[in-house]
Amino acid sequence: MSDPMAEIRASFFVECEELLEALQDGLQTLYDEMGDGETVNVVFRAVHSIKGGAGAFGLDTLVAFAHRFETALDLVRSGHLSASPDVLKLFFTCSDILTDLVREARDDIPHDPTRTDPILAELDTLLGATPADDVAEDDPIDFEVTTLSLDLDLDAPGETEDPTWDITFTPGPLLYANGNEPQFLFRALRDLGDLTVTCHDNDLPPLEALDCEHAHLGWTLRLTTPEGRGAIADAFDFVEGLCSLDIMRADDAPPPPADLPDLAELDDLAALSGETPDPEKPIPEPVRPTSETAPSPEPSPRPAPAAATPRATVRVDLDRIDRLVNLVGEIVINQAMLSQSVDAAGVPPNSPVRTGLEEFQQLTRDIQESVMMIRAQPVKSLFQRMSRIVREASAAIGKDVRLRTEGENTEVDKTVIERLADPLTHMIRNAVDHGLEPGDAREAAGKPREGTVQLTALHRSGRVVIEVADDGAGINRPKVLAKAIEKELIPADSQLTDSEIDNLLFLPGFSTADRISNLSGRGVGMDVVRNAIQALGGRVTIQSEPGQGTTFSISLPLTLAVLDGMVVRVARETLVVPLNAIFETLAVTPDDLRAFGPNTHVINIRDTFVPLIDLGAELGYRHPLQDYTGSVVLLIGQEDGLAAAVVVDAIEDQRQVVIKGLQEAYGRVPGIAAATILGDGQIALILDPIDLVAQASGHTQPAKPVSPQKIGVSS
Amino acid sequence: MSLREQLRIMVVDDMSTSRGLITQALDGFGIRQVESAADGESALNKLAQWPVHLVISDMNMPGMNGLQLLHALRSNARTGKVGFLLITGKADRNIIETGKKLGMNNFLAKPFQPADLRKAIEAIVGRL
Repeated sequence: MSDPMAEIRASFFVECEELLEALQDGLQTLYDEMGDGETVNVVFRAVHSIKGGAGAFGLDTLVAFAHRFETALDLVRSGHLSASPDVLKLFFTCSDILTDLVREARDDIPHDPTRTDPILAELDTLLGATPADDVAEDDPIDFEVTTLSLDLDLDAPGETEDPTWDITFTPGPLLYANGNEPQFLFRALRDLGDLTVTCHDNDLPPLEALDCEHAHLGWTLRLTTPEGRGAIADAFDFVEGLCSLDIMRADDAPPPPADLPDLAELDDLAALSGETPDPEKPIPEPVRPTSETAPSPEPSPRPAPAAATPRATVRVDLDRIDRLVNLVGEIVINQAMLSQSVDAAGVPPNSPVRTGLEEFQQLTRDIQESVMMIRAQPVKSLFQRMSRIVREASAAIGKDVRLRTEGENTEVDKTVIERLADPLTHMIRNAVDHGLEPGDAREAAGKPREGTVQLTALHRSGRVVIEVADDGAGINRPKVLAKAIEKELIPADSQLTDSEIDNLLFLPGFSTADRISNLSGRGVGMDVVRNAIQALGGRVTIQSEPGQGTTFSISLPLTLAVLDGMVVRVARETLVVPLNAIFETLAVTPDDLRAFGPNTHVINIRDTFVPLIDLGAELGYRHPLQDYTGSVVLLIGQEDGLAAAVVVDAIEDQRQVVIKGLQEAYGRVPGIAAATILGDGQIALILDPIDLVAQASGHTQPAKPVSPQKIGVSS
Repeated sequence: MSLREQLRIMVVDDMSTSRGLITQALDGFGIRQVESAADGESALNKLAQWPVHLVISDMNMPGMNGLQLLHALRSNARTGKVGFLLITGKADRNIIETGKKLGMNNFLAKPFQPADLRKAIEAIVGRL
C-alpha cells in the first residue's frame, strides 16, 4: 500500500474494531449496572470517533447512522434519558448495526436499508421529544479568528540547558498512614537530576502539643532535570491523592495571564467533555489532576479507564508472523539435530560445546514462546461476537437470555480463535435454543425468567479451556436415549451410563429437537462441532445436571505449531505422545495386572482399574504380547480422569516437537494427530492418545456393551 | 525559508486515523515539522521538549479535552502564546464561546476537507 490515504483508510477500519469493542464493553458494563458517567463517555466517544473518521472518508451511510446513535447517547450523557434496560437493548442493536455498517464500508458491500430503517425509527421515537441539537444554520456563532505573529526562532534560548522545576509537596495524614515515606520520594527525584530540598515546619506544633497522627510538614523541592514533567509526576504516583502536589517550571512559574477566565466559569467545559463536574477539582494542571485544596482524605478517582486510551501497537501482516513461526520451527528441529550429532560424537558432558548447546536450547525455547505470544490474542473479540449471537438468538425465539463472560483476556492463538467462531456460535445457539427452558417453564421450576448462558475462558495445565454453560433444565437423558434407539444409532437394549448418554449428542445426525427451530436446526449437528474442535487439536466434553443446566467444555492446545511430547518406541517405530495427555509412566508388576478374558487386561492403579491398550497391536505393528509384566505403560487421561494404560516398548526422550500437519495430505487419521521431524531427520507420527483410546479395538480392553465414541466411528 | 517550512505544529487527537489524516493534509501543504500526541497530557510533555507555533487539537478526548488542553497551555508562560486551532465534532455555541474566552485562535468543525484545514490555519498564521 503505497497510497498514504489508502493506508490511513485501512487503519481507520482497524481502529473502528477497537472502538466497537470499547462500545460493546461499555454498553455491557452499563447493562450490568456497573457503569458510571465515564462509562457513558467512553461509549459516546467511541461512536463519535467512528462518525468523525467516517466523515473524513465520505462514508455517508455510516455517518448518518452514527450521528443518530450519537445523538441518543448524548441524551443519556446529559441526563435527559435514563439508560434503562430497554434503551440499552436498543443501543446494543445499534452497536450491532454500526458494526455491520463499518464492515460494509470497509468491504464495499452495498447497504441494505431494510435492517437499519426500523432501528432508526426507534431511535427517532427516542429522540422525538427533544429539540434539535445542532446549532441552527441561520444563527451563526460569533467568532473572530485571532491571528498570530510568529516567533520562528523557537529553539534559541535555554533549550540546551535542563529546565528547573519547583515542586511543592504537602503530605496529608493518610500518606503516612499508608506507609509512604517522603524521604524515598526525594531519593527517587534525586535520581532524576540536581535536587534541593527545603522543609517547611511552620505548622509544626510544640512537642507537647504534637499529634503524631497528623501531618505537619511541607516541602519545596527545586529540581533541575532533563526529564519531563511526566517523570517527576511518576515519582509521586503512589501518593496521588494523599498529598497536595504542585509541579511548576521554575523559570516560568508566573501566574496564568490575567485575562484567562476564572476556573469556576469553566465548569461547563467539564460537561462538554463529559468529565464529571467536581467543584473540588479544578481544570487539570498540565500533567495530571492534583488536589490543590487541603489534602483529601480519600484517594482521588482513577483517570479514564485503560480501554479509552489508545494502545501502543504495531500492525504487522500475518504472513510475516507465520513465516517467523515456521522459521522458528526449523530452528527447533535444527537444534534437536545438533544435539543429536553432539551426542553421537561423544562430546564429554562438561565441555563448552555442551554448555553452549544447552544455552542455545533455552534460547530457542524462549524465542519460540515469544513468537507464539505474537500470534496470541485475547478471546475478547470472539466473546463479543457471541454476545451478539445470544442477543439475536434469544430475540428470534422470544426467550430472555443474559450472557455472562469471564476470562476475556485469556490469550489464544489467532487461528484457533478464528476457527473457533463457528463451533462456538453453534454451541451458543444450542444453549439458547435447547439448553434453556422457555420463561414459563423456568418460573414453574422456581428459576428466574431470564436464563443465563455463561461463557468462560481459562488456562488449565498448558491448555485453554472454553466453557459454555447454561442454567437450563439439563440434558433430558431418557429422551436422548429413546431418540438414539429410534434412529437406530444404538441397539435397543443398550445400557448406557449418564455420561455415555450425554455423548450421544455428538453422534452424526443426532438432533434432540422435536421441531426444527429456525435457530439451531440448520443441518449442523454437534458432531460437526466436535470435528471442528478436534481439527484444532481440541476436545469437547459435556457435563449436565438435571434441573441445573449443561456445560460444554472445549479444551484446546495453546498453539498449533509445537507441542511438548514424549518420544516412545513401539515395534521399532518411533512415535510421539503429547505430554499433556500423560498422567504418569510406570513399569507393570504382576500384582497390578488382571486378565479380563483372552487378550484383554486391566491394570490396577491405586485401586482403580484401567484398561490396558497395547499400542503396537492397536496400530497393527505387531501381535499382542503374551505377557505384559515389566512392560512400560503410559497412563493416559484428560480433565475428567484416567482413560487407559498404553503399553509401549520403550521411552526414548521427552522434547518439544514441531507439528507438521497430516490432514491436508491424508485427511483425518483416527488416533493420529500429526507428524513431526525428529533430530535425526526421521519422521515420527504424533498420537492423539485420547482419540486412540476411544477407538481401541478391544484386544486388551474389557468387552463393554457399547461406547458412544465407538458408535461414532462405526456409523 | 518559507513559512510552511519553518512552521512547527503539534496535532492532538485520541484517534490515530484523525492524527494520520491531519498530518497527511499538512504534509500536502508542505508542512513537515509535525509532531502528534494521543492525549493532552502527552502533548504537554512533548511540547516541553519541542515547542511549536500551532497546536491543532480535537475537542472530545479522554482525560483532558481540547479546551482543557488550551487552558493548560495558556496557563504556562512558555506555551501561553502558542496558536491554537480546535477541531470540534459540532460547532457548539458553548464550546466556541468558552474557547474564545480562553484565547482559542480558530476552530474547525468536522468533517472537513484538507482545503478547509488550510484555510483555518492560514487565517491564523498567514499565507502558507
